[in-house]
Amino acid sequence: MDPLALNPIQRDAMREVGSIGAGHAATALSQMLGMPVDIDVPDLQVLSIPEIPTVLGGPENLVGAVYGRLLGDLAGGLLFVVARDALLQLSDLLRSRAPGTSKSLGAAEEATVTHAASVLMSAYLAAVARLTELSTLPGPPQFAFDMLGAILEGVTTQIGLKAETAIFVLTRFSTPETSVDAALLYLPDPDSLDVMLGRLGVL
Amino acid sequence: MSTSGDIGGLWAAPDDNTVLVATGEIAVAVHPQRLVTPALGSCIGLTLWDAFTRRGGMAHIMLPSPSETRLGGLADRFASVAVPRLADAVAGGVPRHRLVAKIAGGATMFGGDTGMASIGARNAEAVRHELSLLHIPLLAEDVGGTHARTMELYLDTGLVVVRSYRYGIREL
Repeated sequence: MDPLALNPIQRDAMREVGSIGAGHAATALSQMLGMPVDIDVPDLQVLSIPEIPTVLGGPENLVGAVYGRLLGDLAGGLLFVVARDALLQLSDLLRSRAPGTSKSLGAAEEATVTHAASVLMSAYLAAVARLTELSTLPGPPQFAFDMLGAILEGVTTQIGLKAETAIFVLTRFSTPETSVDAALLYLPDPDSLDVMLGRLGVL
Repeated sequence: MSTSGDIGGLWAAPDDNTVLVATGEIAVAVHPQRLVTPALGSCIGLTLWDAFTRRGGMAHIMLPSPSETRLGGLADRFASVAVPRLADAVAGGVPRHRLVAKIAGGATMFGGDTGMASIGARNAEAVRHELSLLHIPLLAEDVGGTHARTMELYLDTGLVVVRSYRYGIREL
């Protein structure tokens, strides 16, 4: 089914999956960093792909992105998107440094953010797997830092234009000192979305 | 360079003469208008220009041909559809081989995945092939690499400006 046709109960189910995934990811990141990190899901929207740049600052907005292609029972892609300034803040947060320490994107920042995004994606997929008994694996995380529009284009063509809509999960990383907003986009193959909703019992 | 939420971003501030070409669309304009397509990744931006009428057109092409997907949607996102349609629209009765073409884009935004990694190169090749079938000369190209591009066509001179965060401004 087309994600735009999701009814309120189905959206709630997707949000629940997102919250549980965020909980898993927060536990994993806290263990990794040796300090508490919270991850909340304050907002979930279903958007058509051409609409995405308008909620993320325009097609030319400079963003960091981590893409993981989905393999297994569910096909599609997961894309983690964070604006340039938030990317540096997230890197500081994850490396226990004072906000504003990172001034430019280097290999260390790229690796930190790619790793965090990869943990987040795996945690979401673990949540989906636990709730639905579907086994889905992310492909290797791939990092890009460029115009948002071009990154979205790269993702949609890689999954063969099967996805026309995305589930946009606003994801907030916070420690007692600071918080950073990022977006996790789930671009489901329309058939895969049916499978998942069916297993969740809300199709 | 602006990194804020300003949609203006890299290109000269949009004004009444700016014609924006969205992903998978084609558009035709006449001087003093100017055609812009933002954020080309693996897509190809194609411009066709007629020096006599100072008319031009732009396409933002996503894939080589409709066989690449089973979804409906804009037919103009495919090279095999968009190139001949844009050529007819720009020519508007004059011989199509009088037009000149330039292309930009065709990058690989995410490396490392199998098979589809060369979609940008396949797009570029498909556009070159369609142009050759129409006998339209390809004057210049800025394709490949791993970076995003914004493409602008000025219709008085046929100048194409390609902007990117990585390399700044390049004129074709």
